[in-house]
Amino acid sequence: MQARGRGPRRAGARRVVAGSLAVLCAAAVAACGQRLPDHSPEELGGQGEITGDIRLSWWGSGTRNERTNAVADIFEADHPGVRVSRETADFGNYFKRLNVQGAGRNMPCVTQLQARTLGDFTARDVLLPLDPMIESGAIDVSDIPDAVLDTGRGADGKLYMLPTGAAYDALLVNETLAREADAPLPEPGYDWDDYIDFLSQAADGLPEGIPATSLRGGLPNFFIAYVQGLGEEMFSGDALGFSEELLIGYWEMWEEIRARGLANSPTANAEEPPSPEASYVASGDVLSDNRPGNALTPIQGTLDGQGQGHRMTSLPLPSGPAGSGNVLIASGLSIPRNCDNVPTAAAFIDFWANDPRSGDTYASDNGAVTNTTLLRRQLDDPDLPDLKKRELALYQRIVADDPPNVVYPPGYLAVFESAFTRAYQDVAFGHQTVPEAVDTFFAEANAGLAR
Amino acid sequence: MSTTSAPPRPRRLLFGNRPTRSRLLRGLAKHSVMIVTLTLMLYPLLWMFGASLRPDNQVFNTLGLWTGDLTWDNYADGWAGGGQLNFSRFFFNSLTITVLSIVGNLIACALTAYAFARLEFRFKKPLFALVIGTLLLPYHVTLVPQYILFNQLDWVGTVLPLVVPKFMATDAFFIFLMVQFIRALPPSLDDAARLDGCGHWGIFWRVVIPLSVPALGTTALFTFINTWNDFLGPMLYLTEPDAWTVSQGLATFLDATGQSAYGSLFAMSTLSLVPVLAFFIAAQKLLVEGIATSGLK
Repeated sequence: MQARGRGPRRAGARRVVAGSLAVLCAAAVAACGQRLPDHSPEELGGQGEITGDIRLSWWGSGTRNERTNAVADIFEADHPGVRVSRETADFGNYFKRLNVQGAGRNMPCVTQLQARTLGDFTARDVLLPLDPMIESGAIDVSDIPDAVLDTGRGADGKLYMLPTGAAYDALLVNETLAREADAPLPEPGYDWDDYIDFLSQAADGLPEGIPATSLRGGLPNFFIAYVQGLGEEMFSGDALGFSEELLIGYWEMWEEIRARGLANSPTANAEEPPSPEASYVASGDVLSDNRPGNALTPIQGTLDGQGQGHRMTSLPLPSGPAGSGNVLIASGLSIPRNCDNVPTAAAFIDFWANDPRSGDTYASDNGAVTNTTLLRRQLDDPDLPDLKKRELALYQRIVADDPPNVVYPPGYLAVFESAFTRAYQDVAFGHQTVPEAVDTFFAEANAGLAR
Repeated sequence: MSTTSAPPRPRRLLFGNRPTRSRLLRGLAKHSVMIVTLTLMLYPLLWMFGASLRPDNQVFNTLGLWTGDLTWDNYADGWAGGGQLNFSRFFFNSLTITVLSIVGNLIACALTAYAFARLEFRFKKPLFALVIGTLLLPYHVTLVPQYILFNQLDWVGTVLPLVVPKFMATDAFFIFLMVQFIRALPPSLDDAARLDGCGHWGIFWRVVIPLSVPALGTTALFTFINTWNDFLGPMLYLTEPDAWTVSQGLATFLDATGQSAYGSLFAMSTLSLVPVLAFFIAAQKLLVEGIATSGLK
């Protein structure tokens, strides 16, 4: 039996706790002190032998995974000394993992990013600028339009992500239902008033229980189109760039749409699954919706499964006095500072962005290919499905309008998007008035983005 | 003047106020309630099974269970996983990690629990408090430090970060469960074993473990379910498709930014439930046997 003395025990307990904490702190400090590779100027310019292992990561599912693997296989076949390890996950989980990998300085050498998330990584200085690699000729960007290339720049103007696919949001409309409702589709260059007129006209002729639109007052991408159409700034550094009055006007417009019975209920809206296949517009339960342009194919597929012969079409988002509201949401490839094989990573990015075999194989699976030559090849490809061609053609129309570039601040997805959606839900469910919700949103978003 | 009010008329009960004496009626009522409850609980599962038999673009066409077009293609396509990925590999990986985790938790948590329940040593109480305190620490708080640590050990990409901690008694809940269980065992059994010449190892192995089968079964059951369903851990540490688990394989069917394969998802989800159900049924039997044979009734 041990002696039972309270005094020495307490002192001992303190020692154990202190010792444990010291060990934990030492481990944490040691871990945080993980060293980064010391890149030579040649390596920073993407110059060097193309050999060895690199890791490639991207987000996506079934077909996108197959296509990405096929592109990586071609690159490996071209460079026998290279092995490309592949890492994939769906969009949400991909960025969860990437954040942890970034904190652990273990990001894959070729990391797919999106313009909306780029700020999270440039703010932590975990990415290499690609400008020296472009200057050295390791990466060729001559076929990528400047407006598209700029979507890969950080707040300091350096290029941290080579945009390889450009997505956009579009107004998807069930053409068949619109025709049956005797509502002609909005003309090119239509504005928000035309949009509401279209919804009103359609609502009069739609069958009972099918609203003209999903309630999208809380959808950030729709609001971005509204702001851009007015020629206002979305962000000013790490703060909101538009006024409270502007957002009040926008949400009051949506409340009017809702009050007139043109949109579905907030409850139905909150219950809607995020994937295109399971959306209300895909089941023919609403006439129109704002969705990513590449959702046209899966939504049409689901409608086809119902066997009623409904046809979907996609239109640009409404314009404003300052022009088109559509912005491009580019996805692209980056090289993190922890990469120890920069020349091979640069060669892979150049291959992905410029090689015709890469473009043909990937077939604009994640946004329209940004290389104009590769885009032309796909549009000329007789085997490319018609819906895909329509998606690419709409991208061409948007690019031709010289879309404005939004530089998203760090924390955009985590702070801005969630706060925006939540604040509008408070309005739609009657928990707050529009001015109250706008106040709440501004306070929350500005505080979160400034952190 | 006094007034007398008429006694309130007894309310007429709609279904009478006494249980029927008919065993048949009682049985019918009881079973009807159970069948309705069971149907409500099983409906989502049955819908998923029904959806797994529909063509991919008809999955969301109905809330009903069956439609005319039934196909097993989703099972074949899902199992093949599009050529590069194969669910037999994912099942094997999940099973390997799950079995190792169960073995690790049973050995490490039982030994630790025995120490806390039966041994006297310095700092026992603060150490036990520290172990229990880890229950209050959300997994996400330790996520990044753990990742950095395992990355420095060069364990990322292997099953080691998922399995090795289980052999170090890091699941405080199971330690607590077993400590409580072992504390309830009569200490006189230990004394008797000690008189027969057993040391701590002998007491642990010959007395405590045979009597702790219910706690061990519960630990094994929950470890199985937790490990089999775990997604975050494998997603962080098992990055290459060859090493993926079933939960990771299921996630590849869905992506909000592209095209999803719901038919294959529901087909493989149905199959992924089979081991969990089978283990639950097996462990349930184990629990009953353990209680019956250990004299704890």
